[in-house]
Amino acid sequence: MRRPRHLLASTDDGHLDLVPLIDCVFLILLFFMLVGRISVEQRHEQITVPPTRSGQVPPPLGANWIRVVVNVFGSTAAGNIPRNAIAWNSDQPWISSGQNEQDFVGYQKLRDKLDLVYDRSRTFDDPNGAKAPGGGVLQLPSVIVEVRADADTEYRVVQDIQMLLVDSVNPRPDQSGASMQPKVPQKPFVNLEFTTRKPGDR
Amino acid sequence: MSSDSDDTIEKGRIDLVPMIDCIMLLLLFFMLTTKFTSEEKSISSILPTNKGTSPAKPDKVVEPPQMVQIVITPAGLPMMNTEREYQTWYDQNVGVGQGIIPAAELRMGGNPATIKLENRKLSQRDNPNLAGEVENIHAFIHEALKRYEIPGKPRKEQSEIVVSCFSALSWRYALIAYDAARSYEVKQGAIFDAKDPNSLTNARAVSFAPPRVRNYSVKEMGAELFELHRLK
Repeated sequence: MRRPRHLLASTDDGHLDLVPLIDCVFLILLFFMLVGRISVEQRHEQITVPPTRSGQVPPPLGANWIRVVVNVFGSTAAGNIPRNAIAWNSDQPWISSGQNEQDFVGYQKLRDKLDLVYDRSRTFDDPNGAKAPGGGVLQLPSVIVEVRADADTEYRVVQDIQMLLVDSVNPRPDQSGASMQPKVPQKPFVNLEFTTRKPGDR
Repeated sequence: MSSDSDDTIEKGRIDLVPMIDCIMLLLLFFMLTTKFTSEEKSISSILPTNKGTSPAKPDKVVEPPQMVQIVITPAGLPMMNTEREYQTWYDQNVGVGQGIIPAAELRMGGNPATIKLENRKLSQRDNPNLAGEVENIHAFIHEALKRYEIPGKPRKEQSEIVVSCFSALSWRYALIAYDAARSYEVKQGAIFDAKDPNSLTNARAVSFAPPRVRNYSVKEMGAELFELHRLK
């Protein structure tokens, strides 16, 4: 059986015709560049956020604004990160919050991180005019906190994180040994985004 | 002495090997670093700084504002008389270390009508009926909210909507209810802020209830269920 002419031509001088190969590789490259997204390292992949209808792609941040991500895990599968564990951006999760009802170490570490971010961020006057403990108007940071909680996270953890964000509770034990007691906000974070997905998204 | 590349140039051919090397490396990079999941969305929220934070007692008694409560409790919870009874029910039916509570019931204020929310139906990513399930919850809440409308009042002066969810239930229930209440406001004429597509203006407040159980303890779940079951 005779081979097609174009194949014969390509091998006449001992060289393989690489053009079809390059065509294919370029097409595959183009496909990956257009369809895929480079993974964002702030997001832990084990988290499946709840479905909602009106969630939107977060708008671009304004000048001087920053976004931080608080990941909250919901998995109960053996070997996975325990339910209710908290992770700051891509850090290793703090597994204290769901392990022991008296253990608030995860909340304490979260508040420490928030304090650091607050001290480094630009602030503006509270539009509601709330008073700061030291006098004057309460200062709010130009920071959006994205609460990226798994759908199976216990609701109480998200509630507690909200209270921690607005700095209205103290995660450290007081003289009586009780944690999470009410306090006057000093370094509140009020701009939140709850991460979600469309019901049809995978 | 001539090299291989000189040979190829002499024959009128371009040496494609370096280019193929580069393209293969690029291809490998994109194959390893890309994901095909859909981009996550978000719902924005602004926490209040001016309420519920001061430990000081108010100077005078303030009339509590009218609220529309969206109450979410574990499914099958019977009406009982004491906190202790609720605690016993919790210990027997939910308890510590029992994992995720499989189903919940949602009702609007004192209205006895409920809708059942099942973890299983709302958790599967590949569930083709997921959109329909979420749609049903929205329809239930929207229909109920219509009955709480105060005719003639501007949107901002309508009763605040508060999502009160049992603290041991999954976060998904609270967020779906919150989303439904906000989308109702959009239907009623609330508009998006151009600078922030997620924020609502010309809308009444929609918020999550503050925690009812401080210093979370499973021994206080009965008290929380008792209170939630009686919310109007």
